[in-house]
This record gives sequence, C-alpha cells and structure tokens, in this order.
Amino acid sequence: MLELTDVHRSFGSVAAVRGVTFAIASGATFGLLGPNGAGKTTTMRMILNILVPDRGTITWNGAPIDGALRRRFGYLPEERGIYGKLKVREQMAYFGKLHGLRDPLLDGRVAEWMERLEIGQYADRPCAELSKGNQQKVQVACAAMHEPELLILDEPFSGLDPVNAETLLRALRHLQTKGTTLVLSSHQMYQIEHLCTDFCIIAGGEVRVHGSLDQLRRQWPTRTVLVEPASSALRDVLERLGGAHARATQNGTLAYDVPQSIDLPALARELVAAGDLTRLERVEPSLSDIYLRAIGEAS
Amino acid sequence: MNDFGIIFEAEFVRRIKSRAWLIGTILGAAMILFLSAAPAFFNRVVASSTHAVVLAGDPALVAAAKKLIAKDFDVSATEPLPAAPPTLADLNAHAHAAAIVTLARGPKGLDARVYAKDAGGFRTTRLRDELIPLNIAIATRTTAAAIAPLMEFTLDVESLDAKFHDEASANSARGFAYVLVILLYLAIILNCQGVMTSVAEEKTSRIAELLVATTSSAQLMAGKIAAAGATGTIQLLVWLGVGWATAAGIVNSVGGPSGGMHMSDTTPVGLGAIDLPTGVIVAFVIFFFLGFLQYATMYAAAASLISRTEDLGSVAGPLTLPVLGGFLLANWALTVPNATGVLIASQIPLFTPFVMFTRMAVVTVPLWQVILAIAINIVATIAIIWFAGRIYRVGLLMYGRPPKFSQILNVLRTS
Repeated sequence: MLELTDVHRSFGSVAAVRGVTFAIASGATFGLLGPNGAGKTTTMRMILNILVPDRGTITWNGAPIDGALRRRFGYLPEERGIYGKLKVREQMAYFGKLHGLRDPLLDGRVAEWMERLEIGQYADRPCAELSKGNQQKVQVACAAMHEPELLILDEPFSGLDPVNAETLLRALRHLQTKGTTLVLSSHQMYQIEHLCTDFCIIAGGEVRVHGSLDQLRRQWPTRTVLVEPASSALRDVLERLGGAHARATQNGTLAYDVPQSIDLPALARELVAAGDLTRLERVEPSLSDIYLRAIGEAS
Repeated sequence: MNDFGIIFEAEFVRRIKSRAWLIGTILGAAMILFLSAAPAFFNRVVASSTHAVVLAGDPALVAAAKKLIAKDFDVSATEPLPAAPPTLADLNAHAHAAAIVTLARGPKGLDARVYAKDAGGFRTTRLRDELIPLNIAIATRTTAAAIAPLMEFTLDVESLDAKFHDEASANSARGFAYVLVILLYLAIILNCQGVMTSVAEEKTSRIAELLVATTSSAQLMAGKIAAAGATGTIQLLVWLGVGWATAAGIVNSVGGPSGGMHMSDTTPVGLGAIDLPTGVIVAFVIFFFLGFLQYATMYAAAASLISRTEDLGSVAGPLTLPVLGGFLLANWALTVPNATGVLIASQIPLFTPFVMFTRMAVVTVPLWQVILAIAINIVATIAIIWFAGRIYRVGLLMYGRPPKFSQILNVLRTS
C-alpha cells in the first residue's frame, strides 16, 4: 500500500503541495487528477523520491521509499525523454538493467514488451527515427517492462492516436492482472474513469476529493434525471420538485438536476400520472462532472 | 552489477563509439605526430634553402672561411670579390644558393657582407660566430687555424638541483613537461566537455527525469564522470603512446631516424632522451584525476542547469577560464617554477593539477608542498563534488531560462 500522510512541499515562497494525504491499496489503479499546476507532478516526484517532502511521510507497505525500493517502481514522466541515437532494443535493455532485469529474463522481457506495444519492427532502429507515438510506446515499455510493483504514469495517453491509446490500455490492463499498482494522471477523463478504481482530485496543492467513483458520487449532492417527451405537463412536475434545476433541453429530452435524496419511484409515479411518459432515467455524475465541481470549489 | 556499473558501461560504450571521441583521439595523435616530426622535416626543408652559400673574395680568405663554416654551411661556389655589390640576378645564377657572402680584409679585421634572398631567414648569427676566428686572425695578424681551437670553449652548467644532472636533461624535462601540460589541458577540456554534452543531451531530451526516477543522481553523475575519465585515460594513453613511439624512433617514417622533437639544433628532447623520475609520472596521473574530477563535476553541474543546447555556451564559457588560467600559469611555472606566485598557484585547487605538476617536472619540489597540495585538492574535490552534485540533482529538474546564481542557492537551500 502506498500512503501519503500530510505531505508538504514548497519551492521558495511557492507552496506546491499542501498537506496531501491519501492511500492507495496494492494492486489498485489510481487516478491522480487536477488542473495544470495543481501539484500532481510534484506529488509524483515525491512518491518516487526524486523530490523530498518538506514535511509529511510517504511509505510503500509501511517502509520509506529508498533506492532499492525505487528500482521496483516504474515512471513515465509527463515530459517524454529518449536517447535519440540508441536503438529501441538498446534503450529498453538499458532501462531494464537499471530496474534490475538481467539476461536471459531481460532479453525475454524486451521481446515481450516490444510485441505487446507493437514496436517490434523498430527494434534495431534509432529511437529518433520513430514517430512520436512510437517513441512514447518505447518509453512506456522502458517504464513497465520490469513489471513494477508501482507504476506512475503522467499523462500516458497524451499524443497517442486512438489505436495506440487502445494498445496502451491493453498493456496497462496486463499490468493490472500482474498486480501492479498504477497511478495515472490524465486529462482524458473517459479513459481514466474506465481504467481507475480510485481517484484523487487535487487543486492548489490540496486534495479536494478522494475515493472510489462510488464514494465520490455519493458525495455529489445532485443527480440528473432525463425525461421524455419534453411536454409542459412533465416539465411542470419537475419544476415543482424542491431543489430541482433545469438543464438544457435537447432533442425532446428534459434534463433536470435534482437532489441526490429524491424518491425516484415517487417521481416516476407523478410523471406517469401527469402525462404520457416514455423515458425516465437517472444519470450518475461523471468523473468529469465531479472533477469540474472539485476544481471549481478549489478556485 | 549495480547502477553505477550499468551507467558506466552504457556511457563508456556511447562515448567510445561517438564520432567526437574518435575524431578527437585521432586528431590529437596526428597533432603529436606532426609536432614530433615537423621540426626535423622543416629543418631539412629550411636547411636546403639556408645552408648553401657562395663565397666571394680573396682565394686565401675564402679557403679559410670555407673550412670554418663547413660544419653548418654548404659552399656551393667560390668566386673573386665582385667590383659591385652582387644583385639578385647574380645570386640566381647559382642554383639553390641562399646568399652570396663577400669577404675582404678591412682595417680592423674581417669585412664580411651577406647578400641573401631572404635576409630574415638566413642564419646570420651562426655564420658570424663561425667567422670570428678569421676576424681575430686578420686583426691580430695570426692564422685562423691557430685561433679556431681557442673558439672551442665549453661552459659546463652543473645543476645544483639534484633532479637533473646537466642542462640538457633539464631542458629535455622542461620540453616534456610542456608537452604533458598541453595533453593535460586537452584531456581535461575535451573530456569535461564530453561530460557536459552528455548531461545536456539527457537534460534537453527530458530523459533526465526518467533516469533520476530510476537511480540516484549521484550514481548517474558518478557513472558519467567515471566513463568520461576512462575514455579520457585511453585517449591520453594513445597520445602518450604515439608521442613515445615517435620520439623513440619507432615511428620515423615522416621524420626519419633523426625524427623527434628538437628545441634547438643540437639539443634533442624527444621522450627517448628523457630520464623522467617515476614520481613525476605518478604526479601526472594523480593530478590528471584530481583535475578531471574537479572540472568534470563542475561541467556536469553547469550542464544540468540548461534547458536548451543553445545555452551550453553561456555556462561553458566561465568554466573554461580556470582551465585556461591553469594552463597559462603552468607555462609561467615552466620558466620560473619557484616564483612566489607560482608557489601560491600550485596550492590553489583547479590550478594545482597544472602548476604543481609542472613544477614537479622541472624542479625538486619539497615533499611537504606536494603533500599539502594533494591534501588541499582532495578536500576541494570532495567539496566540489558535494556542491556540484547538489546542483546537478536539483538542476536536472529545472527548466526554463538558465537560473541566476542566487536562484540556484535559493533552490539548494530548500532542496
């Protein structure tokens, strides 16, 4: 388990991270979200011991993170880096060795991850000759080929086309099955929402919300109901509801935000009684909704 | 193999395969070959254009002069004293002659004049020295043959410094020290710039963050510097090997059997002629490593502060100054190795590798001074590594414009 407890970090007079506390269970896939400058990268760097916290503790299974432990972690920074003159195979072998892999396991893992990320045909080409997307896959392979206990990926999907993004998703799912704890930062909410089991949204260096999607949704005060047809009778019923707010009506569908505690069966009965109801759907807030609200609170 | 070994191996292979290292090594060796062979080669070329002379004058005078200058000049022709001063056409009539030398008896001695194609290049002083017996003979009305043996007067110089038994070996050591100081300068500059380029490449290609997330910045820097030191040592050994082989006459296809470095016409200073104490060789090795460590860590730290390769020059420039300063001080030390300024400079870190080594090569330096210099430099090297290591660790993650020194100190305080 990765545990951050009251972690602070400043750069001069700028407080980048302020009292961040969260825990990630082993094998979980964790989404670390926040706007630019929220403190995500600083937090990730502190987890990897690249930066030392001013205050607070970071532990992995109860132990502070040291060089030996870090060797069993993996990291894909937001700013991609690659040795342009090294061949793909050489680059992967170098990072594999740094992560403790040795022959013959090393050779096997290089081949396995080149195949998994579909870069085998570039094995003997200098990395600089590869497309940006393929370079990114090489970097992912360098970070993940030792099947780390903890893999931190900062914006792993940025710059990837849908096909390559899907390839990366498959590779991450493979790591999930191997028990790797994944920490992802991304602005691609859809992919994060479907990949991660737990989330933490930080802004201004502070944790705004933290928990599983269900937990975050339970904290969300409203739900959206979609009602069809968009008749005045049905609209009147929704308008009479305490705490209801109309959202945009599109394509003949009424959309209203209603309190989370609303009695949906009772509302259904009222709507049926009021008119010819063809659709009533309760929509849970998306991760994007939760994110935007959390960021809004932060600002 | 630990991370240091992995980084060292990867960096060593990258450097040894790099075009810059190969070209630097080959060019350096070529330069040594050239410097070794050039004097002998040019001596021969120059000799052919300055050795041949035409003697004009009284046959008895010409005969006497011909005998006196036979060692250094070829008398291609003799002729009577012309009625008018010779012209270029007169000289050109004698193929390969560099000058027409007219000889006559004057009221106070020999009246000799040189009419040369190239007045600056002609060896006038040598000719004058060799004609002095003839001048004395005319003035004292004796024979040149009687005077000449008296001119063979030797002034022996006995060195009171036990290091060298005579002037020739001291001069040889001085020449050798000069060559080694140049090699030291080149090895430090080339290899430290190699470290700098390597760090800058990792920083600007943004791979540095990935590396420091995998291994410690200290191991990363140590691996790089050790690899550069190893390739630098190989480079130095190649250069020294070429220099030794050339001077020892093994490689003599260019310079011939007499090839080798010459400080004067008569004093060979090739490596083969040198009896250099083992202590000086050990000192060279020690000071090369101390100097290399001091400069390489500084170059690595400086390179970690830049975000674009275009900024390399702005951080490399100031670092070149102490290397250049050390080199110039070493040249000063060659001339006055015990001057107060040289003594002080030989104890100052960054300068010591050049200055103390040079002093040790040319005079006997008191042991306490050597030990003190090494001790100061070891402490200084540790301090530089510590400080540069911190800058390197922080600098690798800093992007944007190269920071000011105050900003670096601020970050170091809070890191």
